[in-house]
Amino acid sequence: MGPDSVPGPAVPWRKVLWEQQPFPDNYVDQRFLEELRRNEGIRQYRYWTVVKEAGFVGQQLSCVAIFITLWLYMEQGLLSPESLLWTSLVCTLLGYVLYQALTSHDESGCELRTRLADLQSATIFLSFTFGFSPVLKTLTESVSTDTVYAMSAVMLLAHLVSFPYAHPSPPGSLSLNAALFASVCLASRLPGALHTFAMLSCALLVFALWPCLLQRLRENAPGHFNALCVGVCVGGICGLGSQSPGGAVLLALALGSVILLCPLLLVRLQRHKDNIQGPWDEAEIHEDLSHFLH
Amino acid sequence: MVLKIYFPQCCNRADSGLMVGRWIAGHDSAVVLAVIHYPFIPGQVKRYIQQIQAQSGVELSVLGSWSLPKEGQEGMESFLRDLSTIFPQERWLQINREFGKTGFTCEVLTQDQNGGTTQLEAKKKKKVVEEGDGEAGGDGAEEGEEEKVIFVHYEQKKVMLSQLHPIENGVPDPKADPPSELRQMFRMVANSQPLFFLDKYDDGPLKTTHWQSEGREGSIIVELLKQASAPLCLLISWLLSIWTCFCNIRIFSLYPLRFLSTKLSTCIQLSYRTEHMRTLSSAKPAAGHTQFMRKANILVSLLVDVALGVLLMSWLYRDNHITMLANALVPAADHIAKELDELLQWLMGAPAGLKMNRALDQVLGRFFLYHIHLWISYIHLMSPFVEGILWYGGLSACLGLTFALSLLSDMVALLTFHIYCFYVYGARLYCLKIYGLSSLWRLFRGKKWNVLRQRVDSCSYDLDQLFIGTLLFTILLFLLPTTALYYLVFTLLRLVVVLFQGVLHLSVDFMNSFPLFAVGLRIFRSFRLAEGVKFRVLCEEPGTALHLMMEINPLKYGTVVQTYRTPTYSCYPKDSWTALVKKLFVGELIYPWRHKTTKTD
Repeated sequence: MGPDSVPGPAVPWRKVLWEQQPFPDNYVDQRFLEELRRNEGIRQYRYWTVVKEAGFVGQQLSCVAIFITLWLYMEQGLLSPESLLWTSLVCTLLGYVLYQALTSHDESGCELRTRLADLQSATIFLSFTFGFSPVLKTLTESVSTDTVYAMSAVMLLAHLVSFPYAHPSPPGSLSLNAALFASVCLASRLPGALHTFAMLSCALLVFALWPCLLQRLRENAPGHFNALCVGVCVGGICGLGSQSPGGAVLLALALGSVILLCPLLLVRLQRHKDNIQGPWDEAEIHEDLSHFLH
Repeated sequence: MVLKIYFPQCCNRADSGLMVGRWIAGHDSAVVLAVIHYPFIPGQVKRYIQQIQAQSGVELSVLGSWSLPKEGQEGMESFLRDLSTIFPQERWLQINREFGKTGFTCEVLTQDQNGGTTQLEAKKKKKVVEEGDGEAGGDGAEEGEEEKVIFVHYEQKKVMLSQLHPIENGVPDPKADPPSELRQMFRMVANSQPLFFLDKYDDGPLKTTHWQSEGREGSIIVELLKQASAPLCLLISWLLSIWTCFCNIRIFSLYPLRFLSTKLSTCIQLSYRTEHMRTLSSAKPAAGHTQFMRKANILVSLLVDVALGVLLMSWLYRDNHITMLANALVPAADHIAKELDELLQWLMGAPAGLKMNRALDQVLGRFFLYHIHLWISYIHLMSPFVEGILWYGGLSACLGLTFALSLLSDMVALLTFHIYCFYVYGARLYCLKIYGLSSLWRLFRGKKWNVLRQRVDSCSYDLDQLFIGTLLFTILLFLLPTTALYYLVFTLLRLVVVLFQGVLHLSVDFMNSFPLFAVGLRIFRSFRLAEGVKFRVLCEEPGTALHLMMEINPLKYGTVVQTYRTPTYSCYPKDSWTALVKKLFVGELIYPWRHKTTKTD
C-alpha cells in the first residue's frame, strides 16, 4: 500500500520508529485498513421521535406568533388592556396550580422555591413593570417606527435562535433578555401606559413562565405535552390568520418545515453519514491511570 | 608613550623660571599652572608652594624649568640642569623656547632612584607628529626609546571657571570609574585658584606668571553686594519665619480651608515662592556648583518675575484700567450666561435633527436653565464688589507676574464655576449610564464580572434579576443619546476653560522653572558650562613637538535647560492623549490641577 514500497526483504515490517528497518519511513503494509472503523457510536433516529422533539421548537415559534398577534390586537385597540390583564392573571393562576400539582408528583425536587419567594418575585415583576411603564411608553417616542420594528424582529429572532430547547426550565439569559427587549420595544409603541404594562406582563407570561410549565409537562406527562404543542401551533396559526392571512400561511409553512420536513431530512440524510475512524486519528487520552498507581 | 603637557597659554611669553604644577595620577601627563621667575630663593619657593598647597588642597610641585632666553642670555643650560637637584623630582621637564620660534623643545630628565648620586640622562626630544602617519623623524633624534611630547595649550581662565558636565545618557556608573584625565585636570585648575591671587604688581619675594584677573576694581560692587546680602538674607528669613508662623495657624489646617488652598493656584504659587525665598535666604553658602546654579537661577527668575509684575501693575493702575476691566467683566459673564441659555434652548429642541428622548431632554434642560439663573443672580450680587476685588488683586502683581497670572487663573475658575457644575452633572450622569450599560450588557448575555479573578464569568441569574436588568438596560440604552449629547456639549465648554487655565499654568510654570541664569551664562560666558573639549593643531613645524590648542565645547542649550530647570510642583501632564480621550469617553472627571499635585495615583 505504501507509495514507494520496496519488495520485502526477509525481515517483517514492524510499526515502530525506534528500530532501524530496511523500509522507507512512509511504508505501510497490507494491514493498514484493517483497523478502519465507520460511524462509531451513532444513534439511529426514528422519525416520530424526532418530530416530537421538534414539536417544542414549533411550539416556541408559535408562542412568538401569538405574542405578536396579541400586540397587533392591542395596537389596533381591538383588545383592551384590562381584559388582557385579567386573562393573563387567570392563566397565571391556572398555570401555577398546574405547576404545583406537577411538582408534588415528583419527589426529587431538592431546591424547591417556597410560595413566599414566588409571591415576592411576582410582586417585584408587577411593581417594577407598573412603575416603569410610563417611562417605557415615552422611551421610543423619537425613534422611528421602522427602527423599532427591525430591532424587535432581530431580537425575537435572537430569542428563537438562542433558546435552550433541551433544558428550557431556567430560561437562558440571552434568549429571555432578547425577548424582553423586543417586547419592551413593541410595548412602547402602544397608545397608553396601561397597555404597556399589560403587554409586558403578557410577555413575561409567554417568554419566561410558559417554558417552565411546558418543561415540567414534558417531564411528567409526555402525552399531554404533545397535545399541548399541537394546540399551541394551531392556536398560533389561527391567531395570526385572523390578523394577516399571509403571515398565517408563512407561519404554517415554517412550522411544517420545522416539525415535519426537517426531521424527515435528518432521518433520510443519516444514511449518508460516513464517519471514519482509525489509527491515524489523534491520540485520545483515556483517563485510566490505575496502572500508574502500582 | 606619549607625554602630554598641559601648558597655560598665558605663560607662552613668560620669562624664564620654574614651572609649578602637578603630574596627573595614573596618566602620563603634567599640568603646568604657573611659572615662577628668576631670581628666587629655593627655600621661599618651597614655602610658597606649601602655603598654596595648604590653601587649595592641591598637591603642587615644581615640574621643571622654563626658559625663554632673551637676547644676550646664553649658557643657561647647566644652570637649569642644576636646578633639578635643588627640587628633586622623579622626572624633570626642561622646556625651552627659542626666541622668534613658535615651537617648544622639551627635555625630560629622569632621575635614577637607586643611588645617592643622580645620574641624569638627557634625551633630546624633537618630535613632529604629522597627521595621518605619526612618522617620527627629525635631525639628530634617536629612534627607539624616545618619548613623544604633545603640548596642549589651554586658557587658564576658561578652564578654571568652566564646569565640565558629565555626559548625559552616556555610560553610567561614574562612581565606579576614576575620573578621566580631562576631568582631573579641570578640577585641579579650578582648585588651585589661590595660586592665581598673587598679582603681577605685588611686591613679594616671588614673581610669577599665570592668568591674571582683570583687576579687583571692577569687583568692588560685587564685594559691596556680598556685604549687603548677609543682613538682607537675615531680614528675609525673619520675615519668612513670621509668614510660616502665620501659615501654621490652626485655622488654616481645618478642612475647607486646606482643601481650598490646595486647589487655588495662587496659594500653590505662594507656597512655592515661600520655598524659593527660603532657599535663597539660607545663611549657608551654596555647597556645590549645582546648588549655586540653583540659587542663582531662582534669584534671577525672581527678579525678572517681579520686574514684569511691576510693569503689569504700572499699566493696570494707569488711566483707570482697573475700572474698565471691572465694567467689562460683569457684562461678559452675563453674555456667557446668555449664550449658554441659548445653547440649552437649542438642546431642548431637536438639536441637529437628533432623536432625543423628549421627556428627559426637557428635564435636563430645565435643570440647567435654573442653574444658570442661579448663577446670574450670584454674579449680579457680586457686581458692586468686583472693582474692589480687582483693585486689591492687582496689587499682587508686585509680588511677580506669576502671582498675577495665578490669580487670573483662579478668577477664571471662579467665574466659570457654572460651566464646571454643568460638566460635573453631565459627566456623572453619563458615567453612571456607561457603567450601568456595561454591567447590564453582561447581564444581558448571561455573564457577570468576577472581581476576584478579574474576568468575565458566566452566571445563571434568577428570573426576576433578568427581568429587571433587561428593563433597566432598555431604558438606559434608549436614554443614552440624550445624556451623551448634554455631556458632549458641556465637556467641550469645560475643555475650553481647562485649555485656557492650562495655558496660564504652563506659562507660570515656565517662569518658575526656566533657568534664566544658566541660559544667560551660556550666552555670554559660554565657556562656563562645558560639555567637553576639542583640540586644534596650533603648529606643526618639523623638528618641534606637536602643539594643540584646547578649546572648550559649550553645553547645548537644550541640555542647559534640562539640567538647570528648577523642579516645580507641576510636572507636565502624566496622562497621554489616549488616556485622556479614554477618560473623556468613559465620563471620568478631568481636572487641570490633577497633574499638578505630587500625589500619584
